[in-house]
Parts: sequence; structure tokens; C-alpha cells
Amino acid sequence: MKKYICVNCGYIYDPEVGDPMSNIPPGTAFEDLPADWTCPMCYLEKESFDPLD
Amino acid sequence: MKPSVSSLYQAIEICQDIPPLLIGERCNTNGSKQFREMLLADDFDGCLKVALDQEAQGAQVLDICTAYAGRDEKADLIRLFKMLIPAVKIPLMIDSTQADCVAAILKLYPGRCIINSINLEDGGANLHRICTLAKKYGAAVIALTINKNGMAMTADEKVETAAQIYHLAVDEHGLRPGDLLFDPLTFTIGSGDETLKDAAIQTLTAIRRIKTQLPGVHTLLGVSNISFGLRPAARKILNSVFLHEAVEAGLDAAIIDIAKVIPLAQIGRQDREVCLDLIYNRQSATDKTPLLAFIDYFEAQGDQKQQVQETRETASEKAMHQMIVKGNKDGLEDVLTILLRRYGPLEIINTILVPAMRYVGELFGRGEILLPFVLQSAEVMKRSVAFLEPFMDKADQSARLKILLATVQGDVHDIGKNLVDIILSNNGYRVYNLGIKVPAETIIEKAREYAVDIVGLSGLLVKSAIVMQESMAQYRQAKLNVPILLGGAALTQKFVAESCVPQYDQPVVYCRDAFAGLKAVRDFEQGKLTSTVFASSAPKAVSAPGPKNIEIDPTNPVPATPFLGQRSVTDIDPARIYPYVNEQALFRGRWGYRRGKTSAQEYQKLMQDTVIPIYETLKKRGIEEPLIQPKVTYGYFKCYSQGNSLIVEDNGQQYEFRFPRQEFAPHLCIADFYKSKDQGGDITGFFVVTVGHRIGQMAKALFEKDAYHDYLMLHGFGVEVTDALAEYWHEVMRQELGIAQQRPNDTIGFVTQQYQGSRYGFGYPSCPDLGAHEFVFKLLRPEAIGVTLTENMEMVPEQTTSAIIAHHPQAKYFAV
Repeated sequence: MKKYICVNCGYIYDPEVGDPMSNIPPGTAFEDLPADWTCPMCYLEKESFDPLD
Repeated sequence: MKPSVSSLYQAIEICQDIPPLLIGERCNTNGSKQFREMLLADDFDGCLKVALDQEAQGAQVLDICTAYAGRDEKADLIRLFKMLIPAVKIPLMIDSTQADCVAAILKLYPGRCIINSINLEDGGANLHRICTLAKKYGAAVIALTINKNGMAMTADEKVETAAQIYHLAVDEHGLRPGDLLFDPLTFTIGSGDETLKDAAIQTLTAIRRIKTQLPGVHTLLGVSNISFGLRPAARKILNSVFLHEAVEAGLDAAIIDIAKVIPLAQIGRQDREVCLDLIYNRQSATDKTPLLAFIDYFEAQGDQKQQVQETRETASEKAMHQMIVKGNKDGLEDVLTILLRRYGPLEIINTILVPAMRYVGELFGRGEILLPFVLQSAEVMKRSVAFLEPFMDKADQSARLKILLATVQGDVHDIGKNLVDIILSNNGYRVYNLGIKVPAETIIEKAREYAVDIVGLSGLLVKSAIVMQESMAQYRQAKLNVPILLGGAALTQKFVAESCVPQYDQPVVYCRDAFAGLKAVRDFEQGKLTSTVFASSAPKAVSAPGPKNIEIDPTNPVPATPFLGQRSVTDIDPARIYPYVNEQALFRGRWGYRRGKTSAQEYQKLMQDTVIPIYETLKKRGIEEPLIQPKVTYGYFKCYSQGNSLIVEDNGQQYEFRFPRQEFAPHLCIADFYKSKDQGGDITGFFVVTVGHRIGQMAKALFEKDAYHDYLMLHGFGVEVTDALAEYWHEVMRQELGIAQQRPNDTIGFVTQQYQGSRYGFGYPSCPDLGAHEFVFKLLRPEAIGVTLTENMEMVPEQTTSAIIAHHPQAKYFAV
């Protein structure tokens, strides 16, 4: 699964880790994050993320 | 002695035994991309090499032009001339219409310069200034046949304009006829434009008549314009043949790309005949026009690599469209001049320019081009409209949709709003940009005064989102009655839909970027703009991202402070800060170089070829100019928590910082990370850091000069270097407190706070209230490092940031 980076603050969403700050369990693909999920560091919405590879 | 010009080393006659005098054109920011990029990179050695190369290729004089929006033309000219004067053996020509630039160079030039140029476009005011200088320093002057009506197109007009200039320069300013070089202007005969098909004849006739009617003067041409719009291989030949014809007509000097001149003897007879047919507009045996015959002839000669020529009806239209899409300004005015012969100015804007910008917007929307490139397109649009505006009636201006833009009260951030301004105004809308810190009352008043169709509000701070929410009722009460578009970092679709929409009667629309703003304006035009809605599939969230199930440990040790009270540091080398710059946030976020639809390889190439060079240049300028002037004031203070407050002590005074508490689990508040009085009290740190005024001032100047791309780059760089300075200084303070054992080893480590403690910026999610700045300023006295507060408690300059530093290991970011 692909990692994604927040273009505003540089936080990297790693599906293998999930996002404990928002109760997202490990193994959740970026595409499957809820619509109102935000960056745990700067709180911007999903559209602010770029694929990282 | 025959009229000559000279350098430090040699004199050269303007009338050569074998004319023309060859003037190298490549040291010109407007004519040569290579030279421009070198100058922008401050690569003066590279610029010098362009000059030396032309000298080696046979140039006898060099034209030097450094005019470029956002650069200091005079400073660049002086620096370049100081390098060129000892290094180049041939005389130089100062290419500037700015009298102060011309004066500065004449003052330091050791020989006899040529000034390029004067004209009568403004009726003679600038001509007067420059002729006065020419007389004083004994310089030669190029005069373009441009009058109040614009560039002279016919031989009659060209000669008449030349005679007027002659009269002013010779009879009134006392210049000698031999001091003057008249340029009767060349227009392309390669566009298929009916009215330009005899442009070469007009120019050649003008050369003959100027030489006979104004005895003693010289003539000069920028030759390559003649073939604009044709393919490079054919251009080279046509230019050379035309140059030969011009010399036959009496041309004394030519401004050309020296490397591309082909001696006539090397051009085949048939090639020459085809060129002459085109130059003299001679119908050949077939029924083809001379231009089609020319194109077919050179087409048949191969050169498949070049794209097929356009049909003559659409060549200029397509060229203009491409120039906008590609963000290319070279030769822009030529193309527009051609288009103006066939269309009205408004027609050009509405049928060529706006659709091209719309296409650029679509490409951006599809992720096929990136924001910085859109801004380059907008620059071409802006310059085109500025060129066309003098030809427009007032009535042409009034029909456009009007939009008011403002950064809301208490907020000084305007990059987002200015990007919206750039995108809307360059898509044909009329924008009233009210600036920053605009109170709701002013917005209502101006919206009425200008009778705007839409209001757009912007703001970066958390507080600004609240201001927008709270002002909705005021707009409703004032019966503003136009849609309101909202944009800003702290806004979300959800917040707008749930907190703003219900409080106003017209559509309220969340716009995540400038293009969403453009889309909303278009929706409005089509009568289909509706308020933002938010439907979450999940149950309504009752928390925000942040630590969960956390119990703050009250037993952590209190570190020893290196001192108590305030200190400032003003001798920080920018190079110390650069390693802390969050490059991903700068490139992708601030600058908009996002991955989009490009492949990983293409993105890598974009980074290497474009983005990193810009970054490296700015870093260099940050140190050398210096754009970046880092200053810090910081301190450590005794404190204790008391409920939601932190009581900070300094010099016998107490300051109560009140912090908000989360309304959801785990109900955190910044005060929780500090010990209470009963627990023995605690210590806290604060800092205010700034990179100074200069970068903001320079960014503002770029915006005002419509240098949109460079504006975005400079502004974004300032923002991220300021953040880097905060990151750096936070680390310094952790070291001073002896809590720096855990050090992040990469940017993501800093982003996710892989260190002990946290820093909370005022105005940001954990403590949105800027009011705390009142006490921060009492504690740290940032006025001494040039930072002041606005009446709304925001810090100026914009590139400043403040924070409270908590040392508690459990202290991390959270949102209330």
C-alpha cells in the first residue's frame, strides 16, 4: 500500500502504521480513510495529500 | 573624425567599410532565455560568458539589457557593466528606457556608449531626459519610430516620426545628426497577416528615405523580427537575405544573433529568390501567395523535426494561445500587434486569451500542470491585457463580473487571497482587492460602493475561521445579498457547511484553492452556485486528532534553566537554519509543485531541473543579499498551572495565560503539562523568531509588478525558513534545558515531534487566541528585534512566529 504525504506540513501517512491520533488501525489504505479524516499534525483534509514514491 | 563608439580599449566606426555594424543581441533578459535565467540565478560569470562568446563570434558592439520584473535593473546593470568594461574589448550598448539606469551607466562607462533607446510614445518626456544625458556624456542614441499612436507601420509614418525625433534631438538638444541611429522597426512577414504582407517593403523604403531626408544620421534594425512565426531553419535564411537587402537600402547597423548570420554567398540562388519574393511580396508563377510559396519551399527541404506550419489564417491565434498555455512571453507584443490588425482588443481577450486561461485552469484541475506554471500563464495574460488596455473603450471594461476580496479582520496573511486575485483577474473578472485585516464593516461598505457580484473572504488563522463564522450574521443583517466565498487554511468543508452556511441567506461556499474560487464564480455566472454541503458517512466526529487516553504524569522532573528572563540573538547565519527547512512542505505545499498526475520519474526530473535550482538560488540570496535576517528573542520563566491557566512570573510580575480545554476526551489543555503551585511549580519557555522585513517587502513588490511566479516562490520560501528558524531555536532551547537527548534524524521526525516536549504557536489549534501576545511581548520585548503587534494582536512582519515551549515529555500537538 502506498504512503501519502501532507503537502502542507510534511506528515507522512503510512498505511502499515495507520493513525493512532485519529483511531485509524494499522493496515488502513489511504483511499479507505474516512472522508472527514484530517492530517493529525496540521488538520488539513485528505485532498492535501500527495502520493509518495 | 567619422562617427564612432568606443570601449576602454578601442574605437569603432558606426559606418563600417563593409556594413553593417554587427551588434550582438543575446545579453538581453527579454530576448534570450539563457541570459535571463543566468541573471535570475545571479550567475554573472555566465552572463559575462554570453558577452565574450558573441565577441568571439564577431560582434562589434554588444547590447546589454537587464530589465526584468522583480529584479533591480539598475543594480544588475551596474554590476554587469563593471564586469564587462575590463573584460570585453568591444564597445557596449546600454539597453534601457529608464533614465536613471542610463545615467548610472554613462557615469561609469569609460568610452562612448550607445543608448538603446528613445521614442515618442509618451510624447517626448523620456526622450528629453535621455537626450539630456546623451548630450552631457556624449553618447550615441538609438531612436525607435514609435509615436503617440504606437509603432509606426508605414514608411510615411516611420519617416515622419524619425523627422520629429530628429528635430527634438538635434535642434532642441544639440545632438549631432551622426549621434543618432534610427530604427524604423521590423514586423513579421511570416504570419499571413494581410496588412503586414508589405511590412518589409515599408521598412526598407523607410531606411532609404531616412538616409536621404535626414542627412548624417545612421540607421539600425533588429533584423530577426522579420521572420517571427516561421520555422527556425527558414528564419535563419530569410533573416540573412533581409539583412542584405536592408544594407543595400542603406542600413548601417544591425542588432542580431551573431551566431546565426549566414553570409549571402552561402545561400543558394533559389533559396534567395524565394526569400526575395516574400520580402517584396512578389507573386510567383503559381497562384500561391509568396508566404505559402515560401513555406512550401522550405517545408519541402525537410527539417521534419520542426512542427508543421500553421495555416495562415490561424497562425497568430494559435501562437497566442500557446504563449499563454506555456507561459512564454518572448515576442508577445509582436503577436498582439498582429492580432490587433484583425480583431478588437476585447475580442482578443474574450476569444483568445480567456479561453487559453480557461484551458490552463482545466489542465490544473486535471492535475496536468502545477500552480507555478499557472502563474507563469497568468503573467502572460496580465501583460497581454496591459498591452491591449490602451486600445480599449471604457465601455469594454464595465460588463465584467465584479468580485471583492479581503483577508478578514485580525489576519495579515494574504498569499491565498492574492492567488485568488491573480487567477480571477486573469480570467477576465474585475477584482477589488481590499488587502489584509479588513473589518466586516468595511467589507459591507465597499461591496455596496463597487456594487460587487460576489464577496471572497480569506484568512489563515484559526481565529479567522471564527471571525468568518461570526461575521455571517452581520452580513445577513446588512442585507449584503451576494454570495460569499470562503477560503483559508483553518477552514474545512464541514466547518463552512455547518457553522457558516446556516447564518446567511445567500450561498456560502468553501473554496479550497484559487481554482475552486474560479469554479464558484463560473457557477454563479451560470446561475448554479449553491452553498457548500457536508455529508459525512461516519457518525459526527466528537474529537479531533491528538493524543488519546492520556493521563498527564505529574512527577516528571523540572529541568534547570540556563537563565531566567529574556535574551535576544541577532547574529544567526541563515545557513544554520536551512537544514531545518521542511522541503516537502515548501515544494509541494507552499510552492504547489505537487505530484499530480506525473509519474515518479517525471516528478523527480521536475525536482532536479526546476524546483531544486530555484530553492538553491533563494538559499544563496537568503545569505548574500541577505533576504533572510534571522533574529530571535526568547526566555525562560518560573510558572505554575492553575486550572486552565498558566501563571508566569517575571521580575515580580505575574502574567496569567488562559488556555482553552478540549470539549471532548481526553479534555486536554496546555496548562495540564505544567506543575501546579502545590506540586512545586514549573518552568516554561517562550520565543519570538523572525526572518525580518526584507523578504516580505520584496515579495510584495513582486506581486505588485505582476511577477506572480516569483512572488509565490519568494513568499513560500519566507514562510518555510521562518518555520525552520522556529524549529532550530526550539532545538537550541531543548539543548539549553538539557532535554535534547532524543533528537529526530529527519524532517518527518521533527514534523511528528520525535523530541521531548512541544511548542504551541499562538493562533494555532492548541491555543487559537492571539490575545496571549500581549503578555508574550511584555516578557520578550520583540520590538527590539523589529517585531511589533497589530491592534488585533498579530505580529508584523508576517514572517515571524511565536510559541510557548513545554518541556513535559507528554506535551504534543492537539486541537481544541
